[in-house]
Amino acid sequence: MTKVKLDGEDIDVEMTEDEFKKVNDLLSREPNITELGMFDVMWSEHCSYKSSRPKLKLFEDAEANYDYVLAGPGQDAGVIDIGDGYALAFRIESHNHPSAIEPYHGAATGIGGIIRDILCMGVRPIALLDPLRFGRLKGNPHSQWLFKYVVKGIADYGNCTGIPTIGGEVEFDDSFESNCIVNVACIGLGTIEDFKHAPSRAYNPGDYLILMGGSTGRDGIHGVTFASRTLTEMSETDRPAVQIGDPFIKKMIIEATLEAVKTGYVRGLKDLGGGGLTCATSELTGDGNTGAKVDLKKVFTREPGMNSYEIMLSESQERMAFIVKPDGLEDILDIFTKYEMNFAVIGRTDDSKVLKVFDDEKLVVNIPAKALSESPTIKREEKRPSYLDELLTQKTPEPNLDLDEIIYKLIASENICSKEWVYRQYDHEVGVRSVVKCGEGDSGVLRVIGTDKFIAASVGVNSKHCFLDPYEGAKGGLVEECGNVISNGAKPLAMVNCCNFGNPEIPESFWYFSKAVQGMNDFCRALKIPIVGGNVSFYNEDDVKKTAIKATPEIMIVGIIEGEKKIITLPFKEVGNDVFLIGETKAELGGSEYHSVIHNLEGGKPPIVNEEIIQNRWDFLFELYNRNLVKANHDVNKGGILITISEMCFKNKLGVDLDFADCYNEHLRDDEFLFSESVGRFIIETSPEDHDLILDLAKEFNINVKKIGLLISKPIISVSGLKSDQFNLNLDKMKELYDSTIPNLMEI
Amino acid sequence: MNIKIAVIQFPAANCDFDAIHVLNNVMNIKADLVWHNHFKESQYDGVVLPGGFSFGDYLRAGIIAAHSPAVDEARIMLKDGRPVIGICNGFQILTEAQFLPGALLRNESLKFSCKWVNLKVENNKTAFTNKLKVGDVIDIPIAHGEGRYYTDDLKGLRENNQIVFRYSNEKGEFEKEANPNGSLDNIAGVCNLEHNCIGLMPHPERASEAILSPKGTEHGKLIFESMIEFIKRRVS
Repeated sequence: MTKVKLDGEDIDVEMTEDEFKKVNDLLSREPNITELGMFDVMWSEHCSYKSSRPKLKLFEDAEANYDYVLAGPGQDAGVIDIGDGYALAFRIESHNHPSAIEPYHGAATGIGGIIRDILCMGVRPIALLDPLRFGRLKGNPHSQWLFKYVVKGIADYGNCTGIPTIGGEVEFDDSFESNCIVNVACIGLGTIEDFKHAPSRAYNPGDYLILMGGSTGRDGIHGVTFASRTLTEMSETDRPAVQIGDPFIKKMIIEATLEAVKTGYVRGLKDLGGGGLTCATSELTGDGNTGAKVDLKKVFTREPGMNSYEIMLSESQERMAFIVKPDGLEDILDIFTKYEMNFAVIGRTDDSKVLKVFDDEKLVVNIPAKALSESPTIKREEKRPSYLDELLTQKTPEPNLDLDEIIYKLIASENICSKEWVYRQYDHEVGVRSVVKCGEGDSGVLRVIGTDKFIAASVGVNSKHCFLDPYEGAKGGLVEECGNVISNGAKPLAMVNCCNFGNPEIPESFWYFSKAVQGMNDFCRALKIPIVGGNVSFYNEDDVKKTAIKATPEIMIVGIIEGEKKIITLPFKEVGNDVFLIGETKAELGGSEYHSVIHNLEGGKPPIVNEEIIQNRWDFLFELYNRNLVKANHDVNKGGILITISEMCFKNKLGVDLDFADCYNEHLRDDEFLFSESVGRFIIETSPEDHDLILDLAKEFNINVKKIGLLISKPIISVSGLKSDQFNLNLDKMKELYDSTIPNLMEI
Repeated sequence: MNIKIAVIQFPAANCDFDAIHVLNNVMNIKADLVWHNHFKESQYDGVVLPGGFSFGDYLRAGIIAAHSPAVDEARIMLKDGRPVIGICNGFQILTEAQFLPGALLRNESLKFSCKWVNLKVENNKTAFTNKLKVGDVIDIPIAHGEGRYYTDDLKGLRENNQIVFRYSNEKGEFEKEANPNGSLDNIAGVCNLEHNCIGLMPHPERASEAILSPKGTEHGKLIFESMIEFIKRRVS
């Protein structure tokens, strides 16, 4: 907080004194109170990306480098051309701060916001995915409360709007105890024409500016500046800064907007999210190189007596701004009337390049349209945390339990167990597109009705790995998310990210961000995956405990499967088939679930990514796919290979006879081999008659591929070929542990 | 003959497009999506009240939509024997509008639940089950938070053969675990006395294409095929 003098009065603002001087310079005068509020919001970290922008420059060139990228970073959503005349839009955003204070409405309005971003691209939102982070559930009522109501908020909002929630991920870790992570991603689908109809700019002078949807109230004023601060105990008093969502109105907005866009009369479209009317009007005119006159008396408000400051800064939900061609005004208003939506023509664009806002006759805002987006950037210091050296050299103690006991503990642990309790509450099938549903594959797979194309999407990252090494952790997240869509047979096409980090003013926290961005950039350039959008959430710290969250650069990948026959699913299918392990296992237990659950360790050596090897493995897998050799596929993830294999056994109640003799490595302990989380490995099921062909291809591609087992009808996993003695795992027991953990903690 | 079906678009219906998709593209039947205030029954041979959250379901599921002019139009169809089906929220609307007996309460778990279940066919003499056999077990998904069927006249329902579907396990047994929401007597769908109107919580439109079904079945399609068959028989 800074104090500035305005009209002789002391005013508290979030901006710095230098920024206040810059406002005065841009206007060549002192701002009035409304203008100051507008600058304060638009120059907040949340709206202006002032700390992150210098780093995110790395991501800027996706549109130039990839011909199928239609919209890249900086737009409301990334958009790619998926062929057959279809455009796919997608984006991910954070709603951490509101959710930590008010989990139900915080999560719900997060969904509301991301839906509007997709809608702004002129396409229909068709799927949601939600990566979440909380403190550990066991013995922690606060974490249980957050978890329960975040999930309910997502479910109630998403289900009502008729957009299926097709995926996501949940991690539980102490660092998220008071500052939970609630990220929401949305995918939109439409024709390329639909997308072209709806730029988020006002290019033409003389067009009408229409506000449509919910009324403007006093809720959410300064919501974005609240998100640009660290949570403190005082934050409880910020609860009025959390908006209240209305999914019913949102559903009407979706239908009314899509019908309006189809007319061709909408020349610009912008949602009212963070920064409300200030952000929408200034970005529409500023980016479109026009100006506008806006009449605040026309804005329909929820309560009487709202002043210009409140109206311009309100972040009330469920509002959209339309720029409409004059000769289409009547048609557009008819559509809004049909859907019984509130609307008002609140202004017109002009060529003045100035945003003028009137309250009755009184000119209350008079600023150059571009000025609000000219926020200064800040070069933040970065410093590698000194505690890392000690963490990275932590050794894995000798296990004090038998291997089977360790596996039973792991499968029942919060981060590995089934998340069915969550996805049962989400309508994941509405829209009749969901082909690979929650729990059936590593990614969610949707059909594109009317074509033989399928969209696969996955989101996640491993926060524990990122905590130890954000550069390798971010890359590992990419390997994992790409691996998830590849497991279902999809070619990864594009990426968006949501960077959740601590306070950027603390050099150690900013170092994590900087390294993660570098890692994402390096990997995506090497593997030729365009980065088409991102969102940054800083200040995820707990002021009372003085700790930041574990770095969480959430990564979302979308891919395309060309044809129904090319879809691969996770469950093992047929007794007598072979099981292969693809990829090398290293002693990479740093940040693993094994370290955390069994040894209560956070450190160790986390997985390292080699882009060339990863590319090679993917090429090999697609060669197997092209020859239709793969019956089931699951990428190896938290907990290591035995957990992965168990998950593949559950659905069809098959067992596996495992023999790891071919994987023998004298330098690797059994626990290192079984519980390593080395990235980029896959377990596949194949027919025995293809055994030799697969090994020949592996040789040709120079890939480490080993046959490790045979599917059996008995529900056990028999493990041999290790340094320790043969042992059996009872799959019925495994499944019971896998399924019951979260219900046991949540259904009291 | 040219059969024409209406799918009513109540504000915040959200399975409306799905029903249209199945009727148009899977059944090859002409079906129109009709905004609730614009619906005129005279043009249609049958009507579908789709799933969703009409008017947000803020007051009580289906209660506001039950007072829509579309329901008055549908009542004319009900009276003259044309087929009327309510799916999920549509079922809630039909009980609120008293086309069908009983009520749908919050799920016993107090949570929304989206999953595939099995239904056993109890009555194949309705407009929507004539292609099924009594005792058939079908695969179909549910997705609702308020689907616990309740009536204070179970005896009457049984006597009048108004129970159409009951939740069962794969073998057709009515065990407690097979009941996903705590419905009385495992009831998933009921019909009116004349058997031309049914309501059910599960979603046949999500179970009409093999690609969407975990077991590759298309059992939901049989419900729409029955409707077509009923219309053909009725006019011939």
